[in-house]
Amino acid sequence: MRWQLLAVFLGSTLRLAVPLMLGATGELVSEMAGVLNMSIEGMMLTAAFAGALGAWATGEPMIGLACGIIAVMPVALLQAFLSVTLRANQVVTGLGINILALGSTTLAYREIFGERSRDLIPGFPQWSPPLLGHIPVFGGAVFQQVWVVYLALALVAVTAWVVRYTAIGLVVRAAGADPRSVDKAGLSIVRVRYGVVLFAGFMSALAGTYLSIGDINTFTEGMTNGAGYLAIAAVIFGNWRVGRAFGACLLFGAATALQFQLPDMGIPLPTALLVMMPYLLAFFAVAGLVGRQTAPVALTVPYRRAA
Amino acid sequence: MSAASESARAPRLWMPSAGVTIPVATVLLTLLFGLVLIALTGVSVGDAIGAFINGAFGSGYVIAASINRSVVYTLVGLGFIVAARANLTNVGGEGQIAVGGIAATAVALYGGVKGLPLGLAFIVPALAATVAGAAWGALAGVLKVKAGTNEVISTLLLTFIGIWLVYWCVESSALLRRPMTTTATLPESLEIANPTRLPLLSGDPSVPLNIGLPVTVILVIAVWVILARSVFGWQLRAIGLNELASRRAGIPRAALVVAAMAIAGGFGGLAGAVMLQGDQYLLKAGFSSGYGFDGLVIGLLARGSAAGVVAGALLFGFLRSGGINMEMVARVPSAIVMVIQGLIVVTLAAMAFWLDRRKVTR
Amino acid sequence: MSALPATARSGRETLAQAAAPMPPPVLALRGATKRFGAVLALDNVTLEIGAGEIHCLLGENGAGKSTLCNLIFGLYVPDGGEMLLAGAPYRPSGPAAALAAGIAMVHQHFSLIPTFTVVDNLLLGRERGVLRRAAYAEKLAATAAAYGLPLDPYALVGDLSVGERQRVEIVKCLVREPRLLVLDEPTAVLPPGEIESFLAVCRRVADGGCGVVLVTHKLAEVKRVADRVTVLRGGRSVATSEQPAEDIDRLVRAMIQRDLDTLDTALASSLAGMESDEPATPDAAHHPDRRIDALQIDGLTVEDHVGTVRLDALTLTVGRGEIVGLAGVEGNGQTELGAILAGLMRPTRGRVFVDGSEMTNRSPAEITALGVGVIPEDRHAVGCIAEMSVAENIYLNRIGGFARRGLIDRDRMRRQAREMMERFDVRAAGPDASFGSLSGGNQQKAVLARELTLDNLVFLLAAQPTRGLDVGAVEAIYKHIRAVCTTGAGVLLISSELDELIAVADRIVVLYRGRIMGERAAHPREREAIGAMMSGSAA
Repeated sequence: MRWQLLAVFLGSTLRLAVPLMLGATGELVSEMAGVLNMSIEGMMLTAAFAGALGAWATGEPMIGLACGIIAVMPVALLQAFLSVTLRANQVVTGLGINILALGSTTLAYREIFGERSRDLIPGFPQWSPPLLGHIPVFGGAVFQQVWVVYLALALVAVTAWVVRYTAIGLVVRAAGADPRSVDKAGLSIVRVRYGVVLFAGFMSALAGTYLSIGDINTFTEGMTNGAGYLAIAAVIFGNWRVGRAFGACLLFGAATALQFQLPDMGIPLPTALLVMMPYLLAFFAVAGLVGRQTAPVALTVPYRRAA
Repeated sequence: MSAASESARAPRLWMPSAGVTIPVATVLLTLLFGLVLIALTGVSVGDAIGAFINGAFGSGYVIAASINRSVVYTLVGLGFIVAARANLTNVGGEGQIAVGGIAATAVALYGGVKGLPLGLAFIVPALAATVAGAAWGALAGVLKVKAGTNEVISTLLLTFIGIWLVYWCVESSALLRRPMTTTATLPESLEIANPTRLPLLSGDPSVPLNIGLPVTVILVIAVWVILARSVFGWQLRAIGLNELASRRAGIPRAALVVAAMAIAGGFGGLAGAVMLQGDQYLLKAGFSSGYGFDGLVIGLLARGSAAGVVAGALLFGFLRSGGINMEMVARVPSAIVMVIQGLIVVTLAAMAFWLDRRKVTR
Repeated sequence: MSALPATARSGRETLAQAAAPMPPPVLALRGATKRFGAVLALDNVTLEIGAGEIHCLLGENGAGKSTLCNLIFGLYVPDGGEMLLAGAPYRPSGPAAALAAGIAMVHQHFSLIPTFTVVDNLLLGRERGVLRRAAYAEKLAATAAAYGLPLDPYALVGDLSVGERQRVEIVKCLVREPRLLVLDEPTAVLPPGEIESFLAVCRRVADGGCGVVLVTHKLAEVKRVADRVTVLRGGRSVATSEQPAEDIDRLVRAMIQRDLDTLDTALASSLAGMESDEPATPDAAHHPDRRIDALQIDGLTVEDHVGTVRLDALTLTVGRGEIVGLAGVEGNGQTELGAILAGLMRPTRGRVFVDGSEMTNRSPAEITALGVGVIPEDRHAVGCIAEMSVAENIYLNRIGGFARRGLIDRDRMRRQAREMMERFDVRAAGPDASFGSLSGGNQQKAVLARELTLDNLVFLLAAQPTRGLDVGAVEAIYKHIRAVCTTGAGVLLISSELDELIAVADRIVVLYRGRIMGERAAHPREREAIGAMMSGSAA
């Protein structure tokens, strides 16, 4: 019985960590290049809604996924325009976009779904890796997941590799460490930063559609519930390294999984405390109880070519 | 934003500067956009506007309620601009209101203050709320100083924690939940007793303006003076502009950062007290109901000016009242107000380029 | 090393082949003009740089040399005039275009990323797709060795000394096989002993057919290595010479509109460079009182967070009334020493005393109260708040003095600031003018106004105080520093310009890798010995 619980716990951790790891990896790349996106939360929410809408309207989850991504791109473009071209305050614009996204999705949800909010949205099919899926007790609970989960894991790994071993990765890291040098090397800081914000948007879109289509199979107002901020906290906790941020996401996912796990194990902590746990954990993480932090030097600083 | 250099130039005739016209224009434009949205949802714009005006200005009661809302907004906004002077962005207003509410409720119900004379019955809980909010803010300040933690993230996370703390307090009978007489007893606290409520100014409950209003007016003036003319305000500005140079000049940056965040949090806590003791009279889940975030928007809108906070607070106070009525009567979704707020924040941040152009850069 | 690029052979040239063939200059500027707001940084500048030629751009600070270079490199767009590259119009839209056209530049402030390795820094923008680090590292090492600039491709740039980083910057340029190499004040960061070999590298590069633009304000370098010279003053080209070695006096007069001997001796020395063998004329006599120490540093050690030792048991004293010069190439611990003396950094070990009182680990406010004044190396980071007014900056550490019941008396502050500005010749629109709008020289004078007017000034730290300033401001600063001595305070003058130290200081102490290598009298005949110590040879 205990093993069964553990297996369920592990499986839930992975499942709950997916939106975080997608959001965090995307945001990490963006921050490496010097752009902070507070709007990950809003982008996730937009994708969650658009994706849900698309899947519900057509009955096809894949179309929902496409809708989610398509809906987020303009938002990401807006954030990039504000942060890079207009050199606006990145924190303020990010928060503003989040408010806008919350209001817009709530409005649209009420208008379109209104009475029919009980409908379920068709979900993504599940998948399980060949051998691992058959491990007794653990196999099913841990490895039988919506295929987006495996896509997410692959994306995180690929991103880590690209950052380290390709020219693009070099430019992205340089843009956040010393944008002047990038400019003097004849490369375009603007293009790099637009690119990373759009990438963060894409990853957030995956995260958001996974939430509504893949995981919960419905849309509720404000359903991201701070996941975007947890992703940002994971980046900080991970000291701007892909591997460590990934670990942080698993940790936060585990904290969320405990919400459901502890009552099952007979530990009667009040629900509020359980819900609070990931935020509490993230708070301790960013409080620097995990050692020295080395943020990219040019993070949140817009680039101006003044010699 | 150099008050010194601006006051040095005597204005000849009153020409609103870019710092005023652009925010005003932004608000007007987004309001217009809001009307367009309303029309798109199929509601008659005329009905909507009518319901709005009724809800905002329709009676003495409603006007007073709007002003009470504005009082809460003003407090949060004032806290924001004090911290912003030192280039600290406090987005934790919502959480600070929450813990302020918890503290005020706890002290009012179980702190043995009911019998205190001279108004202490309502002053002490309010003070407790202020202290709780200040601690909540100072926590972020200390982290910033000790670990360099970005205060935006730490106050945001603290907000979530604060909101869920309220939830916990009213869910748990061991804490603030009212004794469960039946299984249908709602998760909320007991109502606070009369002496612990904020006294009404006119004594007439149909115009429920409470003592929070004059107190806030005094605070507005105090903040304005402190930020514009005092050594403390000047030091906040210095550490916000250049940390190293300020330290070299002997300005106690660490203490000032914590103080600024504590003040910001304290204002939030006080706002929570005003909400609890002036309006709701009991603590329940979702107590802060978005006032903190609204206050944040107002703080951003005000661009550092206390007068701006008041203007924004009044605007949003009446906007909210009108919005509530619009939803009830004309079936206009209140989410439109949120959309308008988001647009205001984004547009203003985008305009910062023009607003700051008059600053000389080398 | 590479043959002349084919584009150098223009149609015009083949016609004139019969006559003595002169290839068009690699780069020609005609009437180049650049404005920044109301300031005319370059005014109708015309010059030509031929292939294989070392062309020195001479001028004092603020004359427009860096602006001109940035124009060539595409960082600025000219407001007037034109540029021709090998006879064809050249209008770079940015560094990318300049690099593609074969122009490479080494700036005064390196554009290297400290957290990257040498290879990664040089790979930036050079390759696409998957990085082939090993292959590129080999190519780098080969090019570097060919020019006599050895470097380790896998070293972390942050760990390299300033001189080594410069080598990386140069190799970064040479790997692109440019046809024009622009060097902006390259010898400023080198110890005297390495300047010779650096100039030899320049010669080697030019001999390979590349044009070299060497920006400098040192006449000795001009004499040593220049084929042609253009003098800039106030944004205009005021003199040129094809035989620089003979024309030095004319060039100096063009550069600063005065003769060398009318200048403050310290200034004259730093301009003349490796020239003067005569000792500087003794200035207003100041008698160092070695009995009481203004500053006493004892075994000061600083280890940074990764354990690298930045200051190594440093021991030093500065007597009252004396000027001690701290010589050394940038990056040998000067920054850390300055930070400790300003109270912004805590030493790992060791103690510091001012006038007998201990100041180790005290706060900046307490240190100031003990009588320590600091003119910081990086004015903008530590010495001023650019967005605040001149008055606020002059009283940055003393605003409390204008407080009445917690509120600032701005009128009184303004009045007193005006007096200070007059006394120290700080030129600005008024005490409320934004500090950032002042020129570098006036900003520094304002910092002086603040630091030198301490009631009980016992010790003054002046870190690179004249760097980047025009002649007038430099003279004012020397005047003030000497005045401070006569009132009995001690001065520690940190400078990477050895000649400045020889002329101004009473004795010179050499800092290398965080340790004091030795001490010498501030006399020109000691230059070699001091130079040797600056490169690490024991005293």
